[in-house]
Amino acid sequence: MTDASGAGTPAVRVQGLWKRFGQQVAVAGIDLELPAGKFIGLVGPNGAGKTTTLSMVTGLLRPDQGSVSVVGHDVWRDPVAVKARIGVLPEGLRLFERLSGRELLSYSGRLRGLPGAEVDKRAAQLLDVLDLAGAQHKLVVDYSTGMRKKIGLAAALLHNPEVLFLDEPFEGVDPVSAQIIRGVLERYTASGATVVFSSHVMELVESLCDWVAVMAAGRIRAHGTLDEVRGEAPTLQTAFLELVGARGRDASSDLDWLGGGAR
Amino acid sequence: MTAGTTSVVVRLKLSLLRNGLRQSAGRRAAYVFSAVLALLFAAAQLLGFVALRGHAHADAVAVLATAVLALGWTVMPLFFPGGDETLDPTRLVMLPLRPRPLVRALLAASLVGIGPLFSLLVLAGCAVSVAHSAAAWLVAVVAVALALLVCVALARTVATANIRLLTSRRGRDLAVLSGLVVAIGAQVVNFGVQRLGSSGLGQLQPVGDVLRWVPPASAIGAVDSVSTGSYGVAAAQLVLSAAAPAVLLAVWGRSLTRLMTTPDASTLQAAEPAGRDRSRTGLARLLPGGRTGTVMERSLRYVWRDPKTKAAWVTSLAIGLIVPVFNALQGTGSIYFACFAAGMLGIQMYNQFGQDTSAFWLVATTISSPRDAYVELRGRALALLVITLPYATLVTTLTTALLGDWPKLPEVLGLSFALLGAMLATGAWTSARFPYSIPQEGHKNVVPGQAGLAWISIFGGMVSAALLCAPVIALTIWLNVSEGGDGWSWALLPAGGLYGAGVTLLGLHLAAPRTATRLPEILLAVSKT
Repeated sequence: MTDASGAGTPAVRVQGLWKRFGQQVAVAGIDLELPAGKFIGLVGPNGAGKTTTLSMVTGLLRPDQGSVSVVGHDVWRDPVAVKARIGVLPEGLRLFERLSGRELLSYSGRLRGLPGAEVDKRAAQLLDVLDLAGAQHKLVVDYSTGMRKKIGLAAALLHNPEVLFLDEPFEGVDPVSAQIIRGVLERYTASGATVVFSSHVMELVESLCDWVAVMAAGRIRAHGTLDEVRGEAPTLQTAFLELVGARGRDASSDLDWLGGGAR
Repeated sequence: MTAGTTSVVVRLKLSLLRNGLRQSAGRRAAYVFSAVLALLFAAAQLLGFVALRGHAHADAVAVLATAVLALGWTVMPLFFPGGDETLDPTRLVMLPLRPRPLVRALLAASLVGIGPLFSLLVLAGCAVSVAHSAAAWLVAVVAVALALLVCVALARTVATANIRLLTSRRGRDLAVLSGLVVAIGAQVVNFGVQRLGSSGLGQLQPVGDVLRWVPPASAIGAVDSVSTGSYGVAAAQLVLSAAAPAVLLAVWGRSLTRLMTTPDASTLQAAEPAGRDRSRTGLARLLPGGRTGTVMERSLRYVWRDPKTKAAWVTSLAIGLIVPVFNALQGTGSIYFACFAAGMLGIQMYNQFGQDTSAFWLVATTISSPRDAYVELRGRALALLVITLPYATLVTTLTTALLGDWPKLPEVLGLSFALLGAMLATGAWTSARFPYSIPQEGHKNVVPGQAGLAWISIFGGMVSAALLCAPVIALTIWLNVSEGGDGWSWALLPAGGLYGAGVTLLGLHLAAPRTATRLPEILLAVSKT
């Protein structure tokens, strides 16, 4: 899939990306190259700017400064090439909730110009694999969080994108649904496609990703393969806490009254 | 045992009332205020009915008032499900109660409160206005009690039958429509009162003649029948009035038993088996292919399924019909009022993307050129036309028929189409330029901070639409005043239609590039909560 754009082209190239909301700087100058064909994790604490970054990369939010290109095409100058090649699962935005799951897939596939019969075939398979076949005629408004994430993922995968951007795909998802989502994503990257997902659950990122970028306070603190970012630290969690400067906060001296012993 | 249950439930109701008031001073003040207001209103009504005694049409008014009261009791629980906590019998489900005593107890509890007191006063007024003999007064006592019983039983039956609906998403969707029913009802009442004012209470007589056989109005009808000496008729009406609560209580008891012995709505919904395949409905097969058909299908589905969109549409449809037709019925209207339908429905083109809420992101990710944006907007305009074009034609034809001014039909139709086109054009453009969020919960239609934007969008757009129509309006006036112009007024139909279509296409072409370049800004504007 990636060979069309050349083997050496990174999946995403971000240069000097800035975004301010009033006084607050959400993203403070990001330069980043994400390699193609990898399972990439964008990790960081809440408020680090992950959602803002992903929104700007996917063309849903206009940056104040900087450029973004996806598989060699500029997101803002060449939207035709980019929008056909990416799939998006945003966080905190609604879906067309008064459509049934099936109708939502049919709608988004046809909006992308796929032939109707092909959309129906792919939708049926996706619903089946994601274990949504039983709920396909229920309105999305009646779906649980896990079901919403799954139908969102199905909509993002329907047009077989080269790069998939998922904002917190596992947030609020039950273990069974999480395992299903995981299986689908692993199969997808194994075929050479790229997945970029954000999360603040380190264990998850560590077990899924082969490439990680760590964000804090609007900047990239570290990036590279999992081993490079982890370095000497035993786990990604430890390495992450060191990177974002949260290690020093030892709580043992405070709250010493808490727990067993004298009440 | 039975008496025990009843008194416990009645006392429970009183405690709930008291505790509700204890929660905050504001709530107490509001309660006292509304109570005083309701009782003052009821007292005034009582006096009014006393004054009406002896009036030729007093019977029709009394019967109608009873029917309206009963209607109020019927629809009230649909719109204010949280109003009465004892109204929800599922809260009592864990208690070892038999249906029959429970029905009696809940009924007794329902008779406590301002609502029943208000109704008692109104019903008493109705009875007083038609009671003219000792026998009639005697019947009146029974009639008022029966009518009140029917009202309360109606409310309870409807509430219980719909409790599943009321506690589900569907029910909450319905509540969004409640404001609308009140608004349209007010329009109807307004026109009704105007009509009464112009032609007297005699207008009510035919309605009253029917309603006097419908419980609970039949109880008041019985009082009137006794007063006029028709004892046979009175007996029949009383029997009807007594049978109604019996039937209602039986229905209520049955649904109460079913409700309390089966799982609740959320469980049922989750266990609902896979339904029929709705992916290709009959509607979809009729629509064009590609993005156009896809967009139209989604838009039309939302008109029906999304409570906010539905409320907006129903309001537009109703007001677009009521204003010209009621004015024509009163004989005060102008045939040009028929354009109201086109204007009201054209408003639905405004803030298209705000109607999507933040789900607009999905649309944004599929628009990568002005062409995509054009097809998207055109699809939405076409979906609107599918409903609007026949409806505007129908309303215009109906208004013309009522006024009997057939020669004017072509020019009014032409004007309607031109106005519709102008509304679609300005609607498309303001959708791209001045989008704003529509909150999904509650009755508000604008998010705080975006009211100015909404005003610019709607009123600026409507003024521009009127200006855009100026050529057609000018042509209409010219043909009307110039000599021999009447012979050419038919030409306004094709002229208006073509002009409307042209303006729409122009508006869509101007709006499309703006939409395509402003996608992130539109998404931001429609995602405000």
